[in-house]
Amino acid sequence: MRWLACELHTHTVHSDGRQTLQELGNGAARLGFDCLALTDHNTMSGLADKQIVEQSAGIFILPGMEWTTFHGHMVTIGLDDYVDWREAQPANIHDGVAAVHRHGGLAGLAHPFRIGSPACTGCYWEYAVQDWNDFDYIEVWSGTFAPIKTDNSRAFSLWTDKLNEGHRIAATSGRDWHEQADTEEPISVTYLGVKNETTIDTEQAVAALRQGRVSVTIGPLVNLEVISAAQVYGLGSIVPAGEGAVTAQVSIDCTVRSGLWALPHPDYHLILISNKGVIADYPLGSSDGLLELQAELPRDGLIWMRAELRGIVRGIRTMVAFTNPVYFE
Amino acid sequence: MFIDIKSAVNPNHSQSHIRYSFPLDRPVKALYLYFEYEPKLLDDNAQGRKLLEQSLERYVLPEQKELALSGIDRYLPLSNLITISVDDPNEYRGACHRHDSIQQLFLSESAASPGLLPGEIITGTWTITLSLHSIVTGSCTYHLKAWAEEEEAI
Ligand SMILES: [Zn+2]
Ligand SMILES: [Zn+2]
Repeated sequence: MRWLACELHTHTVHSDGRQTLQELGNGAARLGFDCLALTDHNTMSGLADKQIVEQSAGIFILPGMEWTTFHGHMVTIGLDDYVDWREAQPANIHDGVAAVHRHGGLAGLAHPFRIGSPACTGCYWEYAVQDWNDFDYIEVWSGTFAPIKTDNSRAFSLWTDKLNEGHRIAATSGRDWHEQADTEEPISVTYLGVKNETTIDTEQAVAALRQGRVSVTIGPLVNLEVISAAQVYGLGSIVPAGEGAVTAQVSIDCTVRSGLWALPHPDYHLILISNKGVIADYPLGSSDGLLELQAELPRDGLIWMRAELRGIVRGIRTMVAFTNPVYFE
Repeated sequence: MFIDIKSAVNPNHSQSHIRYSFPLDRPVKALYLYFEYEPKLLDDNAQGRKLLEQSLERYVLPEQKELALSGIDRYLPLSNLITISVDDPNEYRGACHRHDSIQQLFLSESAASPGLLPGEIITGTWTITLSLHSIVTGSCTYHLKAWAEEEEAI
């Protein structure tokens, strides 16, 4: 498994961004990203420069578009053609999602609790959702220093609620990046787990996001696997009901994007959390390098479990990273 | 000139689209659009605060309302936002989702304004859509023009 460092929410001069795709690509590469999704508002015209920028910046570009509608913003990624955003009404968003899926794309709620019109037009999610499984992901961390923001906490809680209800839906970060301006704030990375170690393509990145092989962080890359006698279940996998005793295996890799982030004296805790609450809480102190730990799992009533890394960032105790869940039948 | 329209909208038109179609009966080299609306800003900040306070009822949890109210001024002055998108007889030709209240745009076979897709300016019915994301001023007037650059005579 190769973990691609991705930035999944960006804008250029083709909508209201103040950067060209070249500037965005160069900036993302400098920050250690392997891949970015171009998600301009209501247009895909910026993709004309995709190949040139990929080659010169050394970064992979996923096609996308942010549906910037009156009742919510919806990020779409990986689709092969434009889908009309202008037909979206409060009660028919599933038609739009179906059209995105028909074009091979994924649909996610963008910054669902950002204050809406007239401060930020259509930014708050007001679409009626009949089936949460229809959505591929929720952007639970928006902007920089995402884990401390109130809107993001609400999005994160929404995601957890939906998991508790038995839905299987991924969670991502997105900077909603509009310009090349330096920031002192921690930057989120969404890691997508792809099988091909050497080349990157849209199909693989889309498959990873669709299947929930996703880990989000402002620093270390956290991975969670559930191991039985017969098999290893990675992020997004479903452990079948018939599977016997299982163990959780967690790795925390503090060497990713080396030199591009720093969390001094983080006093980490690694938490395994599920629909039944906290399963385990390991104080890890302020270590770096690669950490691994294992825990026996009680299977009773478990429907999902994820790993969360918490620690002190800029003096605030907060979440540093979280994995997407492993599911249990 | 295919379209030359001056009109006005008000807050009741927020969150709706206005479409203008015109027939193009001969191939042309390029299509030009001019779009302008005004005012851009709601100068009355007291009114702006009132609108924001109403929206916070909807968007902010009760326990966070006080904090949200204390930071309300960062959204002022409020502004109108109308964006433009283009459809040729067969396909979507992009959108210009940006805050400029004056936009001069073009499409041609080989190039187009950012947000729009280059390609043949084919004959048939073209449609310009104005998307009224937010109108906060009592009235907002706009001017939309569309015209073509003719094919050079052979
Ligand atoms: Zn948005
Ligand atoms: Zn955005």
